[in-house]
Amino acid sequence: MNQEPLPNWTGQAKQVLDESAQGLDAATLSRLNRARQRALEQARPRVMRPWFLPAGLASACAVLITVAVAWHTPTNMPAPTVSGATAGTFASDLDMMTSDDGIEFYEDLDFYAWLDSQEKDNNG
Amino acid sequence: MDAAKPDVSSVDQFLKTVERRALRMAEMATSNRDEAMDLVQDAMFGFVRHYTAKPAADWAPLFYRVLDSRINDWHRRRTVRGRWLAVWTKTGDDEDGVDEIAQAPDQTDPGPLLRLAGSEASIALDGALKKLPTRQRQAFLLRVWEGFDVATTAAVMRCSEGSVKTHLSRALAALRRALESYA
Repeated sequence: MNQEPLPNWTGQAKQVLDESAQGLDAATLSRLNRARQRALEQARPRVMRPWFLPAGLASACAVLITVAVAWHTPTNMPAPTVSGATAGTFASDLDMMTSDDGIEFYEDLDFYAWLDSQEKDNNG
Repeated sequence: MDAAKPDVSSVDQFLKTVERRALRMAEMATSNRDEAMDLVQDAMFGFVRHYTAKPAADWAPLFYRVLDSRINDWHRRRTVRGRWLAVWTKTGDDEDGVDEIAQAPDQTDPGPLLRLAGSEASIALDGALKKLPTRQRQAFLLRVWEGFDVATTAAVMRCSEGSVKTHLSRALAALRRALESYA
C-alpha cells in the first residue's frame, strides 16, 4: 500500500495534541469516567438476586402441580342422573299417588296389557 | 450480531486509552466541551453496544468510526439548524480550486510549530484545527494523532483512500498556513 510519509512537523503536532489530552482537568476526567461506566453497564452481565432462584423454582413447581392436577381430573364426569327405567318408575309411582283411580287399577295394569295384546292377536 | 461475550475489564481499559483523545477530537469539532462530552458518551455507548464482540485489535478503528459518525451527525444537525446563515457565511468546506501539487509537504521542513513555545503551540494548533473543515480535521487527527494508515482512516471515515489523501493534504497545507501566520 502506498503510504505517503507525513511531514516532520506532524510529529510535533502529535506531541502538542498528546499534551493537551493529558492536561485535561479533574472534573472533565471525572465526567469521562462516569460516561465510560454508564456505557460499560450495557456489557456487564446482569446480576441475579439471590432470592430469584428459589422463588422461581417455587413458582415453577406450583404451576407444574396445578397443571398436573388439572390434567388428571376428569373434566367430563357425568352429572348424577336418573336412569330411564328409574325415571319411569318414579313417574308411575307419582301418577299412582296423585290419580283418582283406585290402587286396584294399577295392580291390574299388567293384566290389562296382556288382555290388550290378546285382542290384537285375535283381530290380526 | 456476534454472540461472543465482551470482557468488560478489557473494554474498560480500551476506553480509558482513547477517551481523552476522543474528547479533544470532539471538542475541536464542536468548540464546546459539553457537546463534545455528549458525543463521546454516545460513541462509547454505540461502541459497547455494537462492537465489543469484535476482536480487540479492531476496537480502535471501530470506536473512532462511531465517534466520526456522531461528529458528522452533529454537524448535519447544526447545518440544518443554521442553514439560513449559510447564505451569508462561507463554510470553507469547499474542496475546489486547490493546487494539491503545490501543497505537497516538504519532508525536510522543520515546520511551523517549532517557532512556537509550549502553550502557545497548543493554542495555535487547537485554533487552526478548529478552523479546518470537518473532514480535513478528521483525516489529520486520525492519520497524525491516532496513527492510522490511509486504509484504516478511509474505513473510519467511510470514504475512499484517495479522499483521505486529499483531505489530509489540504489539512496539512491549511494548518501550515495558519500556524505560520500565528507566529
